[in-house]
Amino acid sequence: MNPLIACPKCRAWLLEDVFNRPDMAPCPSCGTPLQIEVFPALFRKLNPGASAQPVMVEGESSCFYHPQKKAVVPCAGCGRFLCALCDCEFGGEHLCPACLETGKSKGKIQALDNQRTRYDSIALGLVVLPMLIFYFTIITAPMALYVAIRYWKAPRSLVQRSRLRFILAVFLALLQITGWTTFFIVLATRHS
Amino acid sequence: MADPTYQRLTRMRVRQQFAIATAARVSLWLGSDHLLHVELSGFTETYKRFYFRDIQAITVQETTRRAVWNIVLLVPIVICLIGILMNVPPNAHWTAVIVWSIFASIFLLPFAVNNLRGTACTCQLRTAVQTEDLASLSRVRQTRKVLEKIRPLIEAAQGRLTAEEASARMQEAASGVAVSWKPDPPPPTAPPILT
Repeated sequence: MNPLIACPKCRAWLLEDVFNRPDMAPCPSCGTPLQIEVFPALFRKLNPGASAQPVMVEGESSCFYHPQKKAVVPCAGCGRFLCALCDCEFGGEHLCPACLETGKSKGKIQALDNQRTRYDSIALGLVVLPMLIFYFTIITAPMALYVAIRYWKAPRSLVQRSRLRFILAVFLALLQITGWTTFFIVLATRHS
Repeated sequence: MADPTYQRLTRMRVRQQFAIATAARVSLWLGSDHLLHVELSGFTETYKRFYFRDIQAITVQETTRRAVWNIVLLVPIVICLIGILMNVPPNAHWTAVIVWSIFASIFLLPFAVNNLRGTACTCQLRTAVQTEDLASLSRVRQTRKVLEKIRPLIEAAQGRLTAEEASARMQEAASGVAVSWKPDPPPPTAPPILT
């Protein structure tokens, strides 16, 4: 990627006087006030990726995925031998692509987790929103209770980690169910 | 492995101003070795991690959004004030004055908040492979506070560049780009048709 930085407004290249200033500085081209912080990573040269070495001596350990290539490290997940091409260094561990993929799909490697469903918000939504038209709660309260129980142990948000929404949803759902039960009992006793 | 606890840097903010009901809401969190950009769309949270060692640049651009909102909010405020002035003594209709005052306060509150939050801005974060809009950083004062927090962490991971060093290295990079740039060869011309 080109290390040059363009003004976000006029797209002119910025070459001096605007970088790492404590305050806003005008763009030399369009005058828009800018504050640009640049860091050494911008000028870092990218190293080419490692290439796998072929097996030179008979009996030498070879890669599980590429039998012609020399093994350099075992996978920390499954123990298979990996060549430099298959070695994925992640969080200080050497993993094979399959273990990396498994870790991501099963949510074992949190640093690779890039999407989560907020079941606690779904449960709370199911119990709170139908209160606008109260009759819907006869269906949505059991649904909210089911969602809260079914997904109680599901991975929660990375940033809001309490179960408060679940607890609130369960409490309100139980309250609504109790209300409806009482209503039907009273209705039944009146008719009988 | 990174510490899984995060510290909130910004509150949830709607990505697009005029689509409050449907638009995604974004926020920024500070991890032990990265920034976490959280986008909440419906009931799904999407995460983007920007590791301190990979952040190349952060661009803050002042915008006119605060002025635009001021104009948008001032128009109904002025209308309400005219309504109030028309109903004060000698033709005192106190009910109308109260109603106009309530309407005025509905617009005065966001007007005050808009001005108290300070100058508006947009913020972009650049890494080697992407440039991400940090929509949750929408005011200069708030952005500076966040920058004050994350700058030392980025510098601890990468080192520090002074203003002079940054300008010099940018000039150097620009000359390198100019040297390596070659114009495209002209397209081959078709031979003339001989009749």
